Amino acid sequence: MNDVLDCSAGEFAPNDLTCDYLVIGSGCGGGTAARVLAEAGKDVILLEEGGDFVGPTRLTQRDTPMYDQLYTDRGGRTSKDRTVNILSGRVLGGGGVINACDVVPIHDATWAYWQKHHGWSEFSAAAMASYLQRALADLSANRIEERQVNRNNQILRQGAQALGWRGELMMHNRVNCQGLGSCLIGCPASAKRNPRMVAIPKALSAGARVYVRARATRIREAMAERKRVEVQTLDGKGYHPVNRFAIDARHVIVAANPVGTVALLRNSGLGNDTLGRHVSLQPQVPIVALMPDPVRAFDGIPQAYALTEFERHDPDVGLTGFRVESIFGTPGVLGSLVGQPGAAGKALMAQLDHVAASLILIPDQPVGQIGVRRDGRPEVDYTLAAEWKTRARQAIKAAAQAYFAAGAKMVVVPAAPPLVLQSTAQLAQIETLTFEPGTISLISAHQQGGARLGASDATSACDLTGQLWGTRDVFVCDGSVFPSTSSSHTMTPIITMAHALIDRLVARSA
Amino acid sequence: MNPVTRRRFLVLGGTATALAAGAVGGLAWLRGAAPDVAGLHVLTAEQYRTFAAIARTHLPRGGAFPPGADDFDLARMFDGYLADQPTTDRHDAGLAINLVEFGPLLFDHHAVTFSNLPPDAQLAHWSGWGTAQQQTRREIFWSFSRFLGLTFYDHEAVWPHIHYPGPSFARLASRPAEAP
Ligand SMILES: Cc1cc2nc3c(=O)[nH]c(=O)nc-3n(C[C@H](O)[C@H](O)[C@H](O)COP(=O)(O)OP(=O)(O)OC[C@H]3O[C@@H](n4cnc5c(N)ncnc54)[C@H](O)[C@@H]3O)c2cc1C
Ligand code: SF4
Repeated sequence: MNDVLDCSAGEFAPNDLTCDYLVIGSGCGGGTAARVLAEAGKDVILLEEGGDFVGPTRLTQRDTPMYDQLYTDRGGRTSKDRTVNILSGRVLGGGGVINACDVVPIHDATWAYWQKHHGWSEFSAAAMASYLQRALADLSANRIEERQVNRNNQILRQGAQALGWRGELMMHNRVNCQGLGSCLIGCPASAKRNPRMVAIPKALSAGARVYVRARATRIREAMAERKRVEVQTLDGKGYHPVNRFAIDARHVIVAANPVGTVALLRNSGLGNDTLGRHVSLQPQVPIVALMPDPVRAFDGIPQAYALTEFERHDPDVGLTGFRVESIFGTPGVLGSLVGQPGAAGKALMAQLDHVAASLILIPDQPVGQIGVRRDGRPEVDYTLAAEWKTRARQAIKAAAQAYFAAGAKMVVVPAAPPLVLQSTAQLAQIETLTFEPGTISLISAHQQGGARLGASDATSACDLTGQLWGTRDVFVCDGSVFPSTSSSHTMTPIITMAHALIDRLVARSA
Repeated sequence: MNPVTRRRFLVLGGTATALAAGAVGGLAWLRGAAPDVAGLHVLTAEQYRTFAAIARTHLPRGGAFPPGADDFDLARMFDGYLADQPTTDRHDAGLAINLVEFGPLLFDHHAVTFSNLPPDAQLAHWSGWGTAQQQTRREIFWSFSRFLGLTFYDHEAVWPHIHYPGPSFARLASRPAEAP
């Protein structure tokens, strides 16, 4: 079995490399692609700009170093107007390393919507069923058990049940979970069956070569039989360039997450006018509740219960409505959401062990756009739609109602100044939220689109095999291929889609 | 940063920087020279002083629990953070700090700079950034408060006061493993 090669290591001497299949980005899409190709006997190189973080000595459960090392732009990437904090992984295994492990496949209605409205004729729920099964097997998907539900999740469920609202314990990809609670900054117990723990070891065993701290900067000669991909190696911290080398590859598979994928393709001068457009950020609103008794939400699986009463699946619209899911993290990330300076902010944090918290997931239409700035760095232009804002206010009201029904003393929406509600009598105050830039802290964990697949180059960036229009054997295989939001959670959809696309590629080359 | 926002930001920040440099009306005396700070990578001594004042205002000592930003030198951490950021981000951060320093003059029309305000006035002024009319000021408020919240509450000396028992892996040994 090959080892992961760290390009920041002192002895690494970059020589130009050659392969048949170069995969750029090692997350849910890229990790799966590398593994399927390698197991099919192909000659594969997998490149990852982040480092390799496994086990308790590297995954320290500390906010500052972990956001610094595991997240893109150290967790600081935002939309152009800074309204949405765009979170994604930058580590071997990508978002799977830092995600909340929820397994939510693409709904049949969404497949139907894409077939009917986006020309995805070949991708019906039935045709994709075997790929979904493969994804679920990769993830060891299983239902969270009752004994794993911590107080934070019980509170949201209690509130939903008191109001007669539907909800469920979610499926997840943890095995031997110790309930450490730090999923969002990596699992030191290696309980997540993510690409780092499943696809990448399998790719290595099957002969793939895996390089970390290696950033692809440009794809050249995209119409030629052999492409030349320029690579920048990075230092141990991952923020300073060290060296350069090139890879000569017959096929290039870009799986760098929607923002990274579009940026790389644009910086390479590739793609049509649709590339970078139709981006969904699926903004999420955090909400916290102060409970009369200790919650200790930092212990146990952070996201186990979902209030799904208001989620809608429509073959003519796709996913809409909203859902509420309990969440918690380490103190730093919660502290970063407190937009109240002075003693008042400290007083709020002093009650951390009495706090219950959720994220409200509000699917959006793909209204965003990814571009590149003059310095080559990506820029995400995203304006919240009026319809989304209306739904968001309804969603915040529902979440607040659930918390009050569960006995909350106070409900807070992190804004500047924070919106503080003492009872349901004050729910009307939620109407005052304008969502204007800089007034509220929104989070995106599920970026999708930007290189959507389609049957025509007038309306899509890639054809239905994932090949970028106007190139020869340059493919996209990550969350950017979806024409609209695929699911409330994107890991399973992306792994499913990667299996389908790479299967076709293998079949084609055979 | 949005081109419009960024242009407005650069104008505002540039004005503040010009004030900082004393180019407009020789007003640098308003701010006063800061004592030298050894080992800074990006921030000037004046910017370090301003950021330390913002941190102290955002997370003062006392109140619900004793530690405050001053106990952990968050301004130096910010300087270290900036050292690994791209050049444009460092430049923007410097402008943003200068803008806060000259905020009382530019936005409240008081002939005093942020570092020289008394603590209560600093709190009132800084809180105003979170709700200001100008989008740029709100953006700066969120950027700085995110950094300060993350680094302050990640500090082990704060944890006992917020009832956080610390990273759970260390506590794992005493807990039986679950069946697969
Ligand atoms: C905090 C958080 C929580 C989440 N929770 C869930 C959840 O519970 N359930 C769920 O289903 N989904 C969740 N997601 C979303 C899910 O993890 C992502 O949608 C998924 O990982 C995206 O897969 P991807 O292949 O598109 O990209 P990623 O997994 O992001 O992988 C892309 C990789 O490419 C690398 N890269 C980028 N540019 C380059 C380059 N030029 N050269 C080399 N490498 C490059 C990046 O460093 C990164 O590692 C969460 C995401 C986040 C951020
Ligand atoms: S809850 Fe803890 S043990 Fe379980 S996956 Fe998350 S970090 Fe790992």
